Amino acid sequence: MNHVFTPVPLSGIYSKKRYLTPGVIVLILIALNGMVFLAGRFFLGIGSVTNLTNLYPWGIWIGIDVATGVALAAGGFTTAALGHIMHREHYQVIIRPALLTAMLGYTFVALGVVVDIGRWYYVWHSIIYWNPNSALFEVGTCVMIYMTVLYIEFLPIVTERFLGRVKLPGILHNLNRAIEFILRILDNTLSKTMFVFIIAGVVLSTLHQSSLGTLMIIAGEKMHPLWQTPVLPLLFFLSAVSVGFPMVIFESYLASRSFGLHPETKVLLKLGNMVAPILLLYLAFKIGDLVIRETFVYLAIFNVQSVMFIIEVILGTVVPLIMFLNKKVMKSLNLVFMASCFVIFGVVINRINNFIIAYHPPYATEAYYPSFGEISVTLGFAAMLILMYRAIVMIFPVISLNINHSNNHHLPHSQEVSK
Amino acid sequence: METNSNSHSRRHFIKNVAALGAGVVATSANQAVAAPANILSEDRKGVLVDTTVCIGCRNCEWACKKSHDKESGNIEEYSDRSVFKQFRRPSAATYTVVNEFSNPKNPALPINVKVQCMHCDRPACVSACIVGALSKYEDGSTIWDPVKCIGCRYCMVACSFQIPTFDYNKAIEPNINKCDFCNERRKAGKLPACVDICPVEALVFGTRSEIIKIAREKIQRNPERYINHIYGENEVSGTSWVYLAGRNFYELGFPKLGFKHAPGVSEAIQHGIFAYFVPPVMFYSLLGTMMWIYKRREEFNKEAELAEELELQSEPESEVEEL
Amino acid sequence: MKKNVFLFVFFLCLLTSLGIYGFQGGKSATGTQKQEKPNIIVKSRQVIKPDNKNQNKLHAKCTLNCKTCHYCEYPTKKNPCLIYCPRDGMVTVFHTPEECPEVITLDEMSVRFGAVVFSHKIHAEMSQMSNGCQGCHHYNTTGPVLACRKCHEQTRIRKDLNKVDLKGAYHRQCMTCHRQWSHTTDCNFCHISKVPNHKQKIQEKIIQISGKEHPKTVEPNKLVFETSYKKGKFVTFYHEDHIKVFNVACNKCHWDENCITCHDPNNKLTHGAKGKNISIKTKKTFDEHHAPCNNCHKQDHCNVCHNDKELEAWDHFKVTKFELKPHHDKLACTKCHERTSKFQKLNSDCNSCHKNFKPGKFNHNVVALKLSDNHADLACESCHVKSRFKDKPVCKECHDDKEFPKSLPGEKIAKKKK
Repeated sequence: MNHVFTPVPLSGIYSKKRYLTPGVIVLILIALNGMVFLAGRFFLGIGSVTNLTNLYPWGIWIGIDVATGVALAAGGFTTAALGHIMHREHYQVIIRPALLTAMLGYTFVALGVVVDIGRWYYVWHSIIYWNPNSALFEVGTCVMIYMTVLYIEFLPIVTERFLGRVKLPGILHNLNRAIEFILRILDNTLSKTMFVFIIAGVVLSTLHQSSLGTLMIIAGEKMHPLWQTPVLPLLFFLSAVSVGFPMVIFESYLASRSFGLHPETKVLLKLGNMVAPILLLYLAFKIGDLVIRETFVYLAIFNVQSVMFIIEVILGTVVPLIMFLNKKVMKSLNLVFMASCFVIFGVVINRINNFIIAYHPPYATEAYYPSFGEISVTLGFAAMLILMYRAIVMIFPVISLNINHSNNHHLPHSQEVSK
Repeated sequence: METNSNSHSRRHFIKNVAALGAGVVATSANQAVAAPANILSEDRKGVLVDTTVCIGCRNCEWACKKSHDKESGNIEEYSDRSVFKQFRRPSAATYTVVNEFSNPKNPALPINVKVQCMHCDRPACVSACIVGALSKYEDGSTIWDPVKCIGCRYCMVACSFQIPTFDYNKAIEPNINKCDFCNERRKAGKLPACVDICPVEALVFGTRSEIIKIAREKIQRNPERYINHIYGENEVSGTSWVYLAGRNFYELGFPKLGFKHAPGVSEAIQHGIFAYFVPPVMFYSLLGTMMWIYKRREEFNKEAELAEELELQSEPESEVEEL
Repeated sequence: MKKNVFLFVFFLCLLTSLGIYGFQGGKSATGTQKQEKPNIIVKSRQVIKPDNKNQNKLHAKCTLNCKTCHYCEYPTKKNPCLIYCPRDGMVTVFHTPEECPEVITLDEMSVRFGAVVFSHKIHAEMSQMSNGCQGCHHYNTTGPVLACRKCHEQTRIRKDLNKVDLKGAYHRQCMTCHRQWSHTTDCNFCHISKVPNHKQKIQEKIIQISGKEHPKTVEPNKLVFETSYKKGKFVTFYHEDHIKVFNVACNKCHWDENCITCHDPNNKLTHGAKGKNISIKTKKTFDEHHAPCNNCHKQDHCNVCHNDKELEAWDHFKVTKFELKPHHDKLACTKCHERTSKFQKLNSDCNSCHKNFKPGKFNHNVVALKLSDNHADLACESCHVKSRFKDKPVCKECHDDKEFPKSLPGEKIAKKKK
């Protein structure tokens, strides 16, 4: 295993790709559209942009931007656990991209929260006013600390990029040495204490990924029985873990495609091998819960809830599980990518189901459906996330060039694997 | 990063884990003290709403708006019964509304039901609120604090009775709107505005134990008038406002709820996961130990390789002793 | 029966005087206050004094259930453990509407709204078709008729929350009916708004109400119910006979009538063609339909009322060949007929009822005869063999040649008129 781990900024000498491509322009337009509605939300109130009512206080901004965002950023802590805690060094290559995804993911989760809460300028209140009984308080606090941890984990990448290369122009020129000095101290301290943050990151993620499930338990009878269960935190945690690696596969595959690089086929396929057991465990708990609480009877009733539950379980869990267990699938990165997409789809649907579909308040006469503004803002955030990812990857050494494979660039994937 | 860590970093690591653990335990001790006790007093107040007496004059709506400085209009407009065609809920404009339901016993005497915050004994909103902006007070009231609130609307998700409402069309200082049991008025020794104005005294304000007793006597004395159910006596482990009715409550717009208090499961999970921070700290140390073991194994392998290649004496053993 | 009512009244007298005098810290609770039987028309707010002579200690023998008033097993004088205002089951003093105050101005608590001028007399008249006085004066023992404010406190912040406060008491009494009757909760319907000439408006209203009476209700002669009962589709109800012949009190059947029973705009009885044949469709349950009749006809077979055709008015002579007039028509049926499952058939002999006719006691004037002195002293059996008064009297015992009615035992006179 003579893998060389050399992350580089994907610009200048390492890649001839420009930032702006037709796809990026489309993303910018989507982001701008989102900004327009954001302005409406901040100047005219939440009601002017969303379809939220007193009966449906939470919509897709919480269900997708926050809950799904947190779940999909699970790649960060799962790879950290694998690469750092279990010390599997050959996974180092995917740790940095996963870390970046998590960091940006959480940043946008935080932004999503700020946008959704009515008194956004008081978002810091949870630091000084504590309510230890509140699941939301726990989620909020953990997310806040974890976000800090993620930024700290990302700092070495920044220092690596600038150490010995600080060249401020003009008058700021005098500061160069000082900044260089600070960066060096930072680098030294971080390299010695990083493990504290890495473990903390995993612990915090475990806590808030599961507590995100506790959130809806308090809604009690308002939640459809197919989802309302005391093991919801466990299900949330297991689904978050199960989506971690598929998310890394998804994002690594797309990034390498987008930058015209050769994907890390070997690592990604190995990663894919680990998905099936976790997914199986998740499915076992999900079905077990259904059987023990005898809620399967609700599947006999044909309505939005039962259909969505079946879509979530079949398309989001069973189909990818079969794919991940299939040896033929596991030899093709394209098929593994597809299977990963199914897992991600499953978790997204699961979060939407839990926060939106399952929530049926008393006195509701019509169901909640997100407004154009809400969808615009959600899509805008997703677009901004991708744009920032692309920018950071081009500035900082996150993605490594696969030196081994760069020589035999034209070999088909299947042959590589069969070696 | 970690690949080039040395023996020094390992020692450092143990120290750090210990320090962090101790710190966390110390904070958790403070937390235990800060956690709110069950502050319900024996003579906490409540209101008995007798829906068989209510005449649907909606004077309570007017009085409520008036005493909370909301736009109330002229009281004479409130005798207009056409509003009952629509089923209404409390909103930012009003903390209480009266709805009308048909009376199968006598169609000429429809049943009117006043709706407002029930002021649960164990409120879901109080348990849910991220910043503790909703608090349960000794006198039975559940009150929202505009200073702390961040407008996350989790209380609205949590409330079993779907009571708190939000100013969706205010960009700045949107409020959570909810009956405050006329906190200001009661402090001044007055009755809640709705209780005070009710022409037929369908609302009886008193200590909760007393109004429950009155309600029981009423049922006992008029078994034909009332169904044998005091709504709120046991629902979600009790509410400060309780109701009497002559018709099944679930046909009068009351949600069907269990007797367990709403925050029960979620708080049990929360405190189970956190239990004085022991599980997280244990988990942290477990991961720390795992990390150390894996790293050591790796290093051991590497050093063994190196030793083989360079024929050097193995150092790690002395390190083990040191630890 | 009379005795029971009597005892009942005693008990209530005792209870009230106990309560009132005890409360006022007055004289001995058992001290009898002899008073004249009231027969006065009382003007506004005058208290009607009760008839409470004959007070004695028999109240334990009342027909009332002890639990109606006492909540504990063994009430004592010191601790009578009386329950609060039992709304039902309490009997109050009864007065005719003419005896009560005509107009009452309720203005004790006017804060936001002005006073209410209450036409007490008209309401009393109307309540005759429902609960009578006790419909409002619900916890009124045989003491003086109490005004609402006598018991109901004026403040809502009070110790005894069991009893509704005065504002609540007033509105509960009024609104239960008025809400049905006017379909509104508009305050100004009763309250005189607080304008500067408020007092003058009250006076105007009093004058307006004074002297008014509720018009006499139209009493139908007969009602024919077309039912879905197959074995007898028609039930003919002779309303007038029930009142005049059978002496049934109005509220025996009309025990919970409401203004809208008559004044409902949807009711064809009052808003249709008056005095003509009117047909109304009703939607009632079996029990609701039969409740008014079952008060008395509980044990009767369906066919007593249900028939294939409209029935004629019940006539004692036609059915039994026994003319009630002129001596028996004022009697209650049960005076003669014992009632087990149905009225028992009686022998038409006078002595089947009149068991103790004594010689010389029967005034033969009623049969247009003045007995001669020597006949007057004879035993009844001497002429009326075996006391069969219905049969022809026999003269043979003494006079071989005489026969009734050719010969008479006295002088024929004109039939005595009652």
